[in-house]
Amino acid sequence: MMVMSGLEKSYDGRPAIADFSLDVQDDEYLTILGPSGSGKSTLLRLIAGLDRLDSGSITLNGEAITGKPSHLRGLGFVQQTYALFPHMSVRDNVSFGLRYRLVDPVQDEHEVARRCDAMLELVGLSGLGDRMVGQISGGQKQRVSLARTLVTEPKICLLDEPLGALDANLRERMTIELRHIRATLGVTFMHVTGNEAEALTMGDRLIVLDQGRAIQVDTPDRLFTRPATVAVAKLVNNYNILPGRVEGGGFQHGDSRLALPEPAQVAGYYVIRFDQVAIGGIGEEIASGMASMEAAFIASEFMGSRVIYFFRRPDGGVFEVERHLSRDDPEDYAQGETCALSWPLSQVLLYGGDGRLLDMPAAEGRLQ
Amino acid sequence: MSAVAERQIKSDAHKESFWRRNGQYLLLAPGVFWMLLFLVVPLIMMVYVSFWTQTTFAINSELTTKSWVTFFASETYFGALIRTLRIWLIVLALTFVIGYPTALFIGQFVRNKTVQTALLVTCVIPFWTSFLIRVLAWRPMLGKEGAINIVLQKFGLIAEPIEVLLFTELSVVIGMLQIYVVFMVGPIAFMLARIDESLLEAARDLGADAFTIFRKIIFPLSLPGVVVGAIFVSVMVLGEFATSAALSGRKVNLLGNIIVTQVGSLKWAFAAVIGVVLTAVMAIVITGLLRVVNLRKEL
Repeated sequence: MMVMSGLEKSYDGRPAIADFSLDVQDDEYLTILGPSGSGKSTLLRLIAGLDRLDSGSITLNGEAITGKPSHLRGLGFVQQTYALFPHMSVRDNVSFGLRYRLVDPVQDEHEVARRCDAMLELVGLSGLGDRMVGQISGGQKQRVSLARTLVTEPKICLLDEPLGALDANLRERMTIELRHIRATLGVTFMHVTGNEAEALTMGDRLIVLDQGRAIQVDTPDRLFTRPATVAVAKLVNNYNILPGRVEGGGFQHGDSRLALPEPAQVAGYYVIRFDQVAIGGIGEEIASGMASMEAAFIASEFMGSRVIYFFRRPDGGVFEVERHLSRDDPEDYAQGETCALSWPLSQVLLYGGDGRLLDMPAAEGRLQ
Repeated sequence: MSAVAERQIKSDAHKESFWRRNGQYLLLAPGVFWMLLFLVVPLIMMVYVSFWTQTTFAINSELTTKSWVTFFASETYFGALIRTLRIWLIVLALTFVIGYPTALFIGQFVRNKTVQTALLVTCVIPFWTSFLIRVLAWRPMLGKEGAINIVLQKFGLIAEPIEVLLFTELSVVIGMLQIYVVFMVGPIAFMLARIDESLLEAARDLGADAFTIFRKIIFPLSLPGVVVGAIFVSVMVLGEFATSAALSGRKVNLLGNIIVTQVGSLKWAFAAVIGVVLTAVMAIVITGLLRVVNLRKEL
């Protein structure tokens, strides 16, 4: 188990990591999600010992590693750029750590070869060991980089946007394989990504990092259904976030007044998930327990199994509606056509002016 | 259409496509012409002349191997070849020993590109004075009553001036080293600066200490630079004559010095023999160095 407490790091007076504390369990898949510039790569570099902490401490299985140099920490770091040694074959790359580490190097070449082969097989690269790294594809490089780190049996494996440079197809396959490889070895993965879908699929636990702070640590489904702050909701990229204020028992957003799930709260943001919204004609009756708003249709995007409709909100912002084709048929709207968008009140999330999710006890059970 | 006309059109098409296909080679024509006239022809001439018959005051084109026999039989001349090779190896080794750490500092420990460039420019500042002046400047430095001896004597470190400093092989080596070390530093520093920082981080993270990282990552990746530097230094040192003439008091005769003397006394055939030998030595050295790394792949 790794315990981080009060990590701080700033560059030129600008904080990159601020007051970051987290306990990392054994045998778990942890994803760290954050927009670019949120300090997620910095965090990994600090843990790996590639950058120095300003303050704070890291202990690994009870042993303080804060001041230890990188090569004595026993952590693995898979670089975003793979960082394969270009003058070596795949096999020599993978064997590097076993052969040349300062602590407990493996002297027996047979043993090195055996463990190297086993690892190459696990990552699906059997038979490519003798290729030079210039002769393999991007996806294969990614696997070599992963194998090179994992073969040294690190206590925790840090992955810096490991799928960032892969194309969509390969990315999807690697998400499954990464989980499989991790489960096989039982090693803890800390996986940094800027892609919300990747973070949600991969992690047992998900950490959302914003401006160097962990703003939410939760399981993916809780994080997805109940983002702790507006920033998280924005990052999850599945929510319409409507700014405004509570007035006269409703939520005043621009010119429209939206119904509130519970009366008389102070709220700064009214948040509703894309796929909870129904599109109806103007003048259609709104059922009780529903809120509605009028908006003008802009365009739609066909995504295969679902369609995303974009509407212009009265205040000029964009309102997105997601329709899963397994439940509804796609519909066409004329450009500029005004529609009535409606959603169940039970699905509304309210955030205070400071961006924090307002405590709605009743909300716990009713959210899907 | 008649068959003749058809053939005519076909051959026209063929003609046009020939020029279109090979027109780009015209770009090479001036260069090829120049190299043929001033490199290839003289090289062939040199080999040819080396077999001419040399008498004391004249040379005629009757073919003989007499000059070649003289070269390999004579202690003086063959000795010069051995001396040239020895000095070349010493200078090459020392430029590497002195140049590599310097290049390592500039290429790896200075991370700021501007400072890197500034340091490399600093290395070539000596080149702002002429080659001969730089060589001759060693005389007042190394001489019996030169700067080094005076300083050492002033501090009482030596009683008598050190005479071995000037007009010996040592002074030739010192002079060449000062001139050529920068040709080693440049290419190596360039290769070292190109090494991606993330490779070293990855190696460190895999548990390797600094020395292992140098041995297994940094040095192998800088080898192309070492080879390029070694080629520069080799080619220049093997053909050297000015430094040895100025700093050895005519005691250290390299192949280059002998060519100068032979040409001076109009012994063209013999000068040609040495020229051929020198060219062959350089070709072998360069081929050997290129065997060390596959430059085409690395650069």
